[in-house]
Order: sequence, then structure tokens, then C-alpha cells
Amino acid sequence: MLCSQVHSMAVKAARAGDKRLLFEQIALPHLDAIYSAAIRLTRHRDDANDLVQETILRSFRSFHQFAKGTNCRAWLLTILYNNFRDRYRQNGREHPCTSGEIEEELEAHTLLADMSFNNPEELLSDRMLGRRIERALDELPEEFREALILVDVQELNYQEVADVLRIPLGTVKSRVSRARALMRSALIKLDCLRGKTGS
Amino acid sequence: MDCQEYISGYLAAHADSELSPSQLKGAEAHLGGCERCRSLLIRERAIKQAIRQQVRLNKAPAGLRLRIRSALKETPVPTVTGSGEWRRAGQHTHDLPRSEPVRPSMTRRLPPARVLIPVGITGALVLIIALATGRMIQPTEAMAGAAVPAFDVAIDKYLQFSREFQPNVPPEAYNGANGVLYAWVMDRNSVQPVANDDPESEDIARSYREIDMPDDLFDFSAAGYRIVGGRVDRLPNGRPVTYTMYQSDAGQIVSLCFSDSTMAAPIGAVDWLGMRSFYSYKGYSICLSFYPTGHFVSILVTRMPVEQLLREVANTDAVAISR
Repeated sequence: MLCSQVHSMAVKAARAGDKRLLFEQIALPHLDAIYSAAIRLTRHRDDANDLVQETILRSFRSFHQFAKGTNCRAWLLTILYNNFRDRYRQNGREHPCTSGEIEEELEAHTLLADMSFNNPEELLSDRMLGRRIERALDELPEEFREALILVDVQELNYQEVADVLRIPLGTVKSRVSRARALMRSALIKLDCLRGKTGS
Repeated sequence: MDCQEYISGYLAAHADSELSPSQLKGAEAHLGGCERCRSLLIRERAIKQAIRQQVRLNKAPAGLRLRIRSALKETPVPTVTGSGEWRRAGQHTHDLPRSEPVRPSMTRRLPPARVLIPVGITGALVLIIALATGRMIQPTEAMAGAAVPAFDVAIDKYLQFSREFQPNVPPEAYNGANGVLYAWVMDRNSVQPVANDDPESEDIARSYREIDMPDDLFDFSAAGYRIVGGRVDRLPNGRPVTYTMYQSDAGQIVSLCFSDSTMAAPIGAVDWLGMRSFYSYKGYSICLSFYPTGHFVSILVTRMPVEQLLREVANTDAVAISR
């Protein structure tokens, strides 16, 4: 009897280990994406860390609800945004002041930019474009920036963005369209300003 | 459809491939006769690509990863009720999104269940022994008794190469009179030393490419490691394997790369980084990576502490030569 009980416990433990390994293999590769979103939402490193940990644990506990073959990153971001709305907005910490440290972190993976944008080929070949892009993104209204980053950086489709942000699909289309139009204008304006100042 | 309608209602979605078939047909009909809107679409796609290239994801700090790992270990595994089928309530199924950039740290399809089962049984057997002897073993310690053949091979090669490492790529290499390996380097006019004194990672990567093996090389230079050289051999099953050796005053790192469609990540990883998992195994630190295509597997083996190996790997990008 002891052997059968031990065997049953061992099999359960082994299966539990397999489930945890499965979660690690499917969900954790998206940790950087989740962390990036958390940084942008909270603008505070400690809060971002807490938000990410809470998101991962919650997703692990509900992993049985995740449909294999669907976009795990979109699913995790949905949980992240839900957590952010539930926790941080209730606490009135929706828009904490931007610390210099976070600004550095947001720009850590962009390159210094100081070239003109005359045609798409130049845009793509512009090796020093990062700061111009970030500056143009910062000038966008938050709701436009949020939608654009989810589409272009996090690579979600429009329906997934709608699920994450809890907005209609048509609203996603509108925000992305207006965000790109504003980006075009901002990049041209930055180019004109550069031309005027000669810097 | 006029230009205003296309720009306000279709342009962004067209660049994002989000138009329905009927919408796409209408958009393409308009673009067929409108050079201005064609140019706008090109520019829209350029902006999209520029954002994707320039606005990169922040890397989650190593401390956060450790916290999450610890928290996951302490979190009870949820049980699946009903038929056991995993489902996402209230959501419809989507196809997988656009593929992510091709890097070793990429999503890999799960190995077949028949591979997971042996690992699970091994873990079960270890737990049975532990309970019978009155000891509870932590998951990482449990792997000490479970052999991982690929890791054993990597350690054997590490020991072998620590005594003597003979690079054999690029294939033009031959022994010079003074014992230093030289090679004719393509597109250069003079013979260049490629091993021991002046590693040429471009030639190593090219040689790997020529035999259809991954040509990614780690850049551990910031940690003081230089590439000693590369070597191509055959496994007992006839498949090619590449060995790349990195050396510093503090020690060496050996990288193995081979194709194996059945290998799964063993249970017992002490940490992970994207699709890389890190292990402490028989006194060595191991980094196991799966490539997204070709069933290629990469194993790094070294004597440095596993935490340090994780930091070094996190700080380096695999150098893609001549892409």
C-alpha cells in the first residue's frame, strides 16, 4: 500500500513537473515582452517587476484555460493589462512621474538619431533613428501610442489588441491609423526642426 | 474609392495586413490608379518597420527572473477538470502571429509527448527513492541522479578540448611552418592567421553555413573571452556537429551545435532566458538552447557558476556573420 501511495504521489509530482515545464516553455519566452509592456504602463521599475510577477503567477494558475496554438503573448498581455487596471488605477497610480531611470531604460534599446527622413528607403537605412522614433512616439496621445506599440512592437493583430485593451475592433483601427498619421507628421516635423537648427 | 477614403479608412490596416478580402480588393483597385497612395503605403510600411526595428523590447532583469522562478516553484500546479482539454473560455482561436525575429532564443515547438514521458518517469522514480529514504530532494538536486546524455557528451568534449583543441574550419586551413594555423581568407590578398592568435569568426561562421549548420557565434568579448576556433565533426549517427571554443584567462566555454528533433529540455533548470535554459550538472554550468528551425540544439558548457553564465549569455548577442 505504501508503494502504491508513493507511486501515486510520484506520478502526480512528475505530472506537476511536466505542467510547470510546459508553462515555462510556452509562456516564459514572452517575459521580455511582458516586462516591456509593464515598464511602459507603470513607468516605475519596482511596480513593473511586481506587475510582471503577478501576471506570470496568475497566468500559471489559469494556464489550463489557454488554448494551445493561440497567441500566448496576446493572452499574457491581456492578463497584464487587466492586472494593471485592477491594481494600479484603483490605487491612483495611473500616471506616476517619469523617472530618469525609466527614461534611460526606455531608450536603452534605441539608437541616437539625427538623419533626415526623405524617403522610406532612407528611413529604413537610417542607423541613427531610434531617438527620433521614441520622441515621435512620446508625442502621441497615450491611447494612440498604446495601440501602435501593441501592433508594431508586440506584434499583435487588431483583434488581439482589442481584447487586451477592451475596446472595439473599429476603435483599434482608428487609433492605429491616427497614430501612424501623427507619426508621419512628427517625423517630418523633427526633420524640419533639425534643418532649422542645423543640429 | 477616393484618396481620402483610402488614407483614412484603409491605409494603416493595409500596411498591417488587416484588410478583409473584399476591402483588400477595393484598396488594390484604388492603388492601381493612384501613384500617390501607393507611395503613402510604402511610407506607412517603412514607418511600421522602423518602429519595429528601433523600439526593442526591454530585457527582464535577472533578479526578476529568479523571483518568478522561485514563486512558480511555490505555486501549486492547477488541476485540469473535465476532459482535460485546455480551452480559453469565451475566446476564439487565432492562428499563431507573425514569426518573431530568427534568433536562438525563439519559441520552439514542444517535443512529442513520448519524449516528455521518460523524463517524467525519471523524475517519478527519483521521488519514490527520496520518499522511501525519508529525504525530500529539490528539483535541481533530483537531476543529479538523472543522466542527460547530451550534457555528458558536452562535458566530455569540454575536457577533451581543454587538453587539446584542433580547429578544422575554415577548410582551407593548413599547418604553417611555425605551427600556427593559417588559411586563405576569401576576398583578401594575404594569408591571415585564423586560430590561436587571431580568430576569424567570419570564416568560422561561413564554414558552418556551408554545411547547413547554424552560423551564430556568441560574442563573449565583453567578458574577456575570445574565439579560439571552430571545429566540425560527425556524431555517431552521421550528423554534423559544430564545436566552437571560447577562451579567457578565467577559463573556457565550449559550444556544441547539432540537429536533434527529439531532444527536450530536461527538468531541473535552475533558470531560463527566453528559450535558453540553464543547468548545474555534475559540477558544470550548462546553457541549452533550441533553434526555431531545423531542429538544431545548442549546448554551452563551462566551469563558471551558472549565474555568471546566464549573465554572460544575457549580455551577448549571437553574432550573425555576413547575414
